Amino acid sequence: MSDPGVQNVEYRVAHLQDRLAAEELGELGVRAEVRAGAVALTGTVPSAQCRETVLRLAREELAGLTVHADVVVAQTTRPDHAEEL
Amino acid sequence: MTIRVAAVGDIHMGPDSEGLLRPAFETLPDCADVLLLAGDLTRHGTPQEARVVCREVRDLPVPVVAVLGNHDHHDERPEEVTAILRDAGVTVLEGEAEVVECAGGRVGIAGTKGFGGGFVGRSAGEFGEPVMKEFVRTTRRSADSLHAALKQLDEEDCAARVALTHFSPVADTLAGEPPEIHPFLGSYLLAEAIDTAGADLAVHGHAHLGTEHGMTAGGVRVRNVAQPVIRRAFNVYRLDGD
Repeated sequence: MSDPGVQNVEYRVAHLQDRLAAEELGELGVRAEVRAGAVALTGTVPSAQCRETVLRLAREELAGLTVHADVVVAQTTRPDHAEEL
Repeated sequence: MTIRVAAVGDIHMGPDSEGLLRPAFETLPDCADVLLLAGDLTRHGTPQEARVVCREVRDLPVPVVAVLGNHDHHDERPEEVTAILRDAGVTVLEGEAEVVECAGGRVGIAGTKGFGGGFVGRSAGEFGEPVMKEFVRTTRRSADSLHAALKQLDEEDCAARVALTHFSPVADTLAGEPPEIHPFLGSYLLAEAIDTAGADLAVHGHAHLGTEHGMTAGGVRVRNVAQPVIRRAFNVYRLDGD
């Protein structure tokens, strides 16, 4: 790539976040941050399919970079107790 | 007598999440008198996604009261989303109040989506470009409507009053979110409305990385019930109705 801006990891992470917000997922609060030369993805998404979409977009946008994906699917169990207020 | 309030926000339903919450919601009569939905029920605010939400909550044995979130506005059809939810029996509030009769007494719910702007000392001002002024005025209108709805409930002989928003009234429950984005997550104007009109509990969503527990400057308990925060289908809060 000739454009140094395209190769800059910081802008590539920003572009990933733009796509996460704008494309089929909508802004779900997934964070992408550079740590030790790799990109760490964290957050909670509503379904396994959403998680797969996050990982696919990350592979596309961050090709060639190491990605640590700590994205989890939201839990849907009922609470085992109430809070007394 | 005790009033049992179940709440969750940010369930972000889409076709691939159909049926995920229904099994837990069907257990609600065992533990709650009412279910509050704190906005971001969908991902993009489409009618298709709204109908998925409807199938999760239709014909539940407890009343369901909701506000919309920013995601539910994304497709710019909030009125259509609201109508679809109402057809499924959901009470959707925007600057309005609803009274629910519970075994433990009457619980009043005042709801609005709310908006951003930030918190005291670090907030946006109604100044400068038209779009900036409109940003702050949008929040102010929402907060004013919340105040009016809570004051209306004050006349309704409620055993407890709950303020339901999507955006946060306090910074406490944003702990875990980057401080730089707090102005996009809530506004102190909502808390000021809650404190001046009075409430027993404030429930919101929106801040997926935040924390559950907080309190307004006036001492009203605040709970961030975004599903990624509570890590359950819903949480239950028991309020003393006396």
